[in-house]
Amino acid sequence: MSRAHQLKISVSGIRGVVGGFFTPNLACAFAQAFGTYVGPGRVVLGRDTRASGPMLEHAVTCGLLSSGCEVVKIGIAPTPTVQVYVAETRARGGIAITASHNPPEYNALKLFNAEGLFFNHYERGELLELYHQSAFSRVENAGMPGIRFDMESAPRLHIERVLKHVDVDRIRRRRFRVALDGVNGAGSEMSVRFLRDTLNCELHAISVNPNEPFPREAEPKPEVLGDLRALIVRENCDIAFAQDPDGDRLAVGDQTGRILDNDDVLALAVDCVLRRLPGPVVVNLTTSSAIEDIAARHNCKVYRSPVGEANVVDRMKSVGAVIGGEGSNGGIIFPAVQYCRDSYTGMAMLLDRMAETGMTASQMAAALPVYHRRLGKAGFEHGRLGALMQALEAGFPGARIDRRDGLKLILGDGWIHVRASNTEPILRIAAEARTMDRLNELYGQAERLL
Amino acid sequence: MTVKTHLRISQFGLRGIVGRGLTPAHVLDFSAAFGTMLGARSKVIIGRDPRASGQMIREGVASALMACGHDVIDLGIVSTPVIQHAIAATDARGGISIGASHMAAEWNALKFFGEQGAYLSTAEADELLDIYHLKGFEFAPWNQLGAYSRDDGGIGRYIGKLAEVFDFAALSGFRVLVDCCNGTSALILSRLRDQFGLNLVLINEQTEGRAFAHEPATDQRTVQMQLAPLIKHVGADAGFLFDVDSDRVALATENGEAVSEELALVLLADEMLALGPGDTVIANLSTTALLDEVAAARKGRVVRIAVGRNSAADALSGFRREQVAIAGEGTGAVMMPQFRFVYDGIASMLAILTMMKRRGQSLGTILSAYPKYSILKGEVPLESHRIPQMMDDIESRYPDARKNNLDGLRIDFDDAWFHVRVSQTAPIVRVIAERRGDPPQALFEELMDTVRSYN
Repeated sequence: MSRAHQLKISVSGIRGVVGGFFTPNLACAFAQAFGTYVGPGRVVLGRDTRASGPMLEHAVTCGLLSSGCEVVKIGIAPTPTVQVYVAETRARGGIAITASHNPPEYNALKLFNAEGLFFNHYERGELLELYHQSAFSRVENAGMPGIRFDMESAPRLHIERVLKHVDVDRIRRRRFRVALDGVNGAGSEMSVRFLRDTLNCELHAISVNPNEPFPREAEPKPEVLGDLRALIVRENCDIAFAQDPDGDRLAVGDQTGRILDNDDVLALAVDCVLRRLPGPVVVNLTTSSAIEDIAARHNCKVYRSPVGEANVVDRMKSVGAVIGGEGSNGGIIFPAVQYCRDSYTGMAMLLDRMAETGMTASQMAAALPVYHRRLGKAGFEHGRLGALMQALEAGFPGARIDRRDGLKLILGDGWIHVRASNTEPILRIAAEARTMDRLNELYGQAERLL
Repeated sequence: MTVKTHLRISQFGLRGIVGRGLTPAHVLDFSAAFGTMLGARSKVIIGRDPRASGQMIREGVASALMACGHDVIDLGIVSTPVIQHAIAATDARGGISIGASHMAAEWNALKFFGEQGAYLSTAEADELLDIYHLKGFEFAPWNQLGAYSRDDGGIGRYIGKLAEVFDFAALSGFRVLVDCCNGTSALILSRLRDQFGLNLVLINEQTEGRAFAHEPATDQRTVQMQLAPLIKHVGADAGFLFDVDSDRVALATENGEAVSEELALVLLADEMLALGPGDTVIANLSTTALLDEVAAARKGRVVRIAVGRNSAADALSGFRREQVAIAGEGTGAVMMPQFRFVYDGIASMLAILTMMKRRGQSLGTILSAYPKYSILKGEVPLESHRIPQMMDDIESRYPDARKNNLDGLRIDFDDAWFHVRVSQTAPIVRVIAERRGDPPQALFEELMDTVRSYN
């Protein structure tokens, strides 16, 4: 593997393989840059369950203290929980030590501002500049802040926000049989308490021990959720949930043991929200057109943003969106809870909708508009990207063009979206169509041109 | 002032003013160098003094050691000797003490220890520096990182060790005034007072992170100003003053006299040579010549070494344990064989009280039996590139005197000596001159003038 892939320092923060690449020194320096940027005050620090989490937590704490920030440690916590806690406690900012859905050898720092949101593009550039120039604030002994611990209140504050938007009693009364795969991640214990105790579900949980390694690939893709699917069938569950290690992404299985397409999960969440609270919707360019169809049922408008949670959130704020997200990444963003991808909001919404309608999970999914989707990737040589994009554009002369993130070609009965990944040296190809034949035709044509 | 004066990297380890010279990068790199030097996964014991910056530094130390694959056991706020004893009591491969000892609150430092809590030898200290400068750190793979844990039992176990060596009940008849300088000694001495019946009157007992009641220096001047005036008020049999990490001690007599910092070692050398079996005293070139006279009277010998605990470690390794009676410096740092050769101010205090008890004499009476020596100490900030020329200059002025170049320049005359050397902990030249009898004022002034002329 190339060095570029094992360590990446960019406007998105710092991410890399621990043990030679993502060193404590880099983590500490990045925390110094962050502490310098947000200024003296409280900074919230949480982490997921990766083996390198404790080591990096010490390094980040060192950097934050030295730049004048008091550190509030909340221990193992899902990323959305960190974000809610930052906002609730009016901290200067927050850091989640997590590489999200990346494999266990990776770790990363997710950085949040005083509202618990990702920094915008300009802010991230400025922070990176501070890091590169080592232009850090350095407090002396007399002004050295300390460390506080709050291991209790963060999950409670997060769940309280989620529960304001569902009818807890009707969920509790149904006593749903729920299967859960927590990937032994940051949400493991919190999800068990949430589903079993708060929502009174009959819970059948696997991989909810935060002291154990990830038992499967960290990203909750259908092909790695075999154990969960078997659990659904064996325990005759109504619905199943799978999280990623930092609890922002959510995968959903229906009562037949089928894992729903992530775009369909987002579509269900959009439908749930717009029924009660009509308003603008924001999704990324790669998300299914099903979102437009559902929004149209509620006379609501859909806006598209480049891929990436920060981009979606930026757009949501500017248009006043009531719901948003990223289809392929399994991320539901419900700003009434927090402008962040949040698996807990997703779980609560779907259970509430089932309680309200009496529909099964598969019935809810079957009511969605039908699209066929295909995602793939292709390697490319540096310097060839422009030529590839031009060839692709020339291959579909009648298409409507959207260039905000790579190239999206929108045809009457489908679309193709090709973009360079932010995190890996590959091209991501996505296509969608009304029929499988048309999808294969579009995807095949794009593949040949690339 | 240049940044250099706020940061000092040497065989002693790392020392600096936090924020002005000492940064997290230094802490992480030095700790990673130490973690690399220790090799395969092991246990490392750490602790700190109460300075507010200690918490920040501890986080950096812990992360770097864990990244190198070592399990970190944090004893919390403890004295340096407590850390050394904890290392010796376990299979830990080393340890780090976070604290700046006798320096002002804005300073902090890392002190490194090897197996058994021993000071690093000069060779090990050099290796540590090489790894630090090369930055060739060996980080463990992501799934073999070390773990961090807290252990609050360090002080309790240390007191248990003290109780094996000293008879607390026998010492409880002494009323003892102690200035803790807001440091770690208070955490130990308050327990000796409350649980073991020692009659200790503690001042500046509260540990402080941001400012100490006064500079925590274990020298005669500090004792004179801070401790000695209170002795008679409290009716104490003796007074002791500790630096922040309690590895050094200074004393005052029952009459309220501040005792020279040179004398803690002399007193205990006298006692240990009398008790045997060791006949060898290890002391650096800057330490009083009274030591030679006292040792000779006990048929002992003094081995002179370069200044610094690394040199002491080198020297100790050349002797069988029972050969050595004591080792130390004229700074109040003394180590005794009963206590694993750890510089330990509290053990020194207990040993001096035990000596008073055994002899049935007051501290003032014991000290009055020694002949008078007068020592003068000075320091001059100096740019390093002119130092060799200065040393040559001074050396050429005394062609017939006995010369020792082990550490800078020491010249011995019949009734006097002087030592000029570069400090390892600060960018200064130290000048020390001593004479049996009255102070060697003219010699000292001449040396100081010469050194200053190179400024």
